[in-house]
Amino acid sequence: MRQRWVVGVLAFFMVFVFAGFSLAADTVKFTIPLPLTGSKAKFGEIEKRSYEIAMEEINAKGGIKGKKVILEFEDSQGKPEISRAIAEKIIDVLKQPVIFGEYSSSCSKAIAAVAEERKVPYLVVTGAADNITQQNYKYVFRMNPSVSYYTSGLRSFLKEVVKPKTIAILYESSDFGTKGAEGMVKDAKKLGIKVVLKEKYESGAVDFKPILSKVKSKRPDVIYMVSYVMDAALLMRQIKELRIDAKLFAGGAAGFAIPEFIENAKDASEYVVTATLWSPQVSYPGAKEFAEKYKSRYGKYPSYHGAEAYSALYVIKDVLERAKSWTPEDIRVAMKKTNIVTAFGPIKFEDREGYQNQNFMDTLVLQVINGKHETIWPVKYATKHYVYPIPRWRDRR
Amino acid sequence: MDSVALEVLLQTLISGLLLGGLYALIGIGMTLIMGVMKIINLAHGELMMVAMYMAYWLFVLFHIDPYVSVLIVAPLMFLFGMAIQKFLINPVLKVESILPENQVILTVGIGMVLANLATIFFTSDYRSTPVDYASDAWYLSDYWRGSPIELSLSVPWTVSFVMAVIITIALWFFLSKTDTGKSIRATAQDIDAALLMGVNVERMRLITFGLGAALVGAAGCLFIPIYYLYPALGGRFTLIAFVITILGGLGSTVGAIIGGLLLGIFESLTATYIGMGWAPVGRFAIFILALIFLPGGVASLLRRRRLGG
Repeated sequence: MRQRWVVGVLAFFMVFVFAGFSLAADTVKFTIPLPLTGSKAKFGEIEKRSYEIAMEEINAKGGIKGKKVILEFEDSQGKPEISRAIAEKIIDVLKQPVIFGEYSSSCSKAIAAVAEERKVPYLVVTGAADNITQQNYKYVFRMNPSVSYYTSGLRSFLKEVVKPKTIAILYESSDFGTKGAEGMVKDAKKLGIKVVLKEKYESGAVDFKPILSKVKSKRPDVIYMVSYVMDAALLMRQIKELRIDAKLFAGGAAGFAIPEFIENAKDASEYVVTATLWSPQVSYPGAKEFAEKYKSRYGKYPSYHGAEAYSALYVIKDVLERAKSWTPEDIRVAMKKTNIVTAFGPIKFEDREGYQNQNFMDTLVLQVINGKHETIWPVKYATKHYVYPIPRWRDRR
Repeated sequence: MDSVALEVLLQTLISGLLLGGLYALIGIGMTLIMGVMKIINLAHGELMMVAMYMAYWLFVLFHIDPYVSVLIVAPLMFLFGMAIQKFLINPVLKVESILPENQVILTVGIGMVLANLATIFFTSDYRSTPVDYASDAWYLSDYWRGSPIELSLSVPWTVSFVMAVIITIALWFFLSKTDTGKSIRATAQDIDAALLMGVNVERMRLITFGLGAALVGAAGCLFIPIYYLYPALGGRFTLIAFVITILGGLGSTVGAIIGGLLLGIFESLTATYIGMGWAPVGRFAIFILALIFLPGGVASLLRRRRLGG
């Protein structure tokens, strides 16, 4: 009697274990590190939703090589040391042959170091600091342009339309902010614009007026800011308050390009231009469909981070379908040969200008016109003609 | 000094003063609790966050202006603070423990729970001020046409500052003129003596924590029109309150007011003349300098003056 009971239990476990195996055989599971809590959680959430939309679409069309995709998310809280630990777990414990994900540059950098050391390919999705792909890493690929290239569109807009003589640069004291500011300094030098002021600030500050009154006293033609969303809104509100009349207010992507910027800065956001990588109206295949699907589900359009995450899963799908086997080495070889057009834009990993495995692409310029982000540059993608010169604060309304 | 440099200096001082007034209000709450309880309330910023969400929803759902909602939020925060003291901190006070500061650790825990609850209930979305007058300002040149310099005074910042001053004066009146206020001060000075004099120390603790929470709650309402909110913002303000409490002299209300104003003006001057990126460094430099050279804070200076003169 007792023996039968034991056999029964054993049989039960056997069934359970086999079921587990068979399940594992036709699914492929990826763990994605993202900041789901903490101050960067907003972006983590956008990316998580976008990955999930891509997952559903891919699964509806038969998965990757017939395997159903399952995504799991690990919360890095936006802290590099936690991202690092997650990456180690993904490689050492979960034995996943390729890693992708994470939001900020500092976290992406932490994972890149682990991936390179363990020889597992890592696809950087949103981390934009230049040096991530400048360290002669063989296993680190980046699909988003690096922060110095975020502004290539804006650079040509400045050159051909605004033609400023002086510029003031404000940036947050993070990896992203510092690199963005350095990029603009280089651009300014190329275009013959004098940098009259270059100042960093602590993200989350309450009062920007002291630094802004200093900016005002220098009377720059252009004020260029590299900020996340709430700093961006606060900066513009306080610029309006101090009536600083520059010829152009320009943002370096991040906080200026997402719809929340307009919601928060309200009328102070009008006519602000921003470099961006993507907007919901661009003509890349699948871009509009993705944007609409996201909006119908979550009530608002995704930022470019969403498009990056959404497309990242398609890049992974493409790579895995081309790879000879699913070992890190073969995946790396296949990834190097990637050449597809995603909803985010064309993806191709190149070694040039001191970068390795970096995707280079056209970037856009948006301007807030009548309380909406409109693509204004390059003209071939424009949805509205740009407004320039912009009215002085005193004359508005 | 030419007119441009003068304009920058004056604008900086105005900003610093307005910021300092608000800092002072945040600092006073922590200082009061510090004085009576002898612990640093490290959930202070999170209490402010809770109050900000209250004010935010009062506006969004019932269209109550944040400045009016001070009258609703501050009493609610008073009750909330008393509840924390009664049901969470008091029981820990009575337990024997290895660490004497385990109430401090408890406040850290309370802060974390509040921040995470806020993330669950309100998501981690940033929410901005819902009011329309957020970037309105008064301009000197509108009143004085030929003015050689242009200065601006933000409407919400100024209103917030004035309300902070009013609340502070009301607090001073409460502490120095009422029986309860005097008992709180007695408890802060010497718990044993206060006990012997028949002060209900337990009740004073309740009231003090409530009052501290109400003050930072009021500060939260005043911050809504000029700042934004998200669940994780508490830490930043806890830190600021901490620096002010040390700078002002642990437990001194007047010290906290002066400390807050000093910190605000100092931060603004650093931002203009050294660089805004240095603000956090400056904050800690002040913190350490105060600990080394002025361990009693501004309050000890005031006291020395009084004894000497």
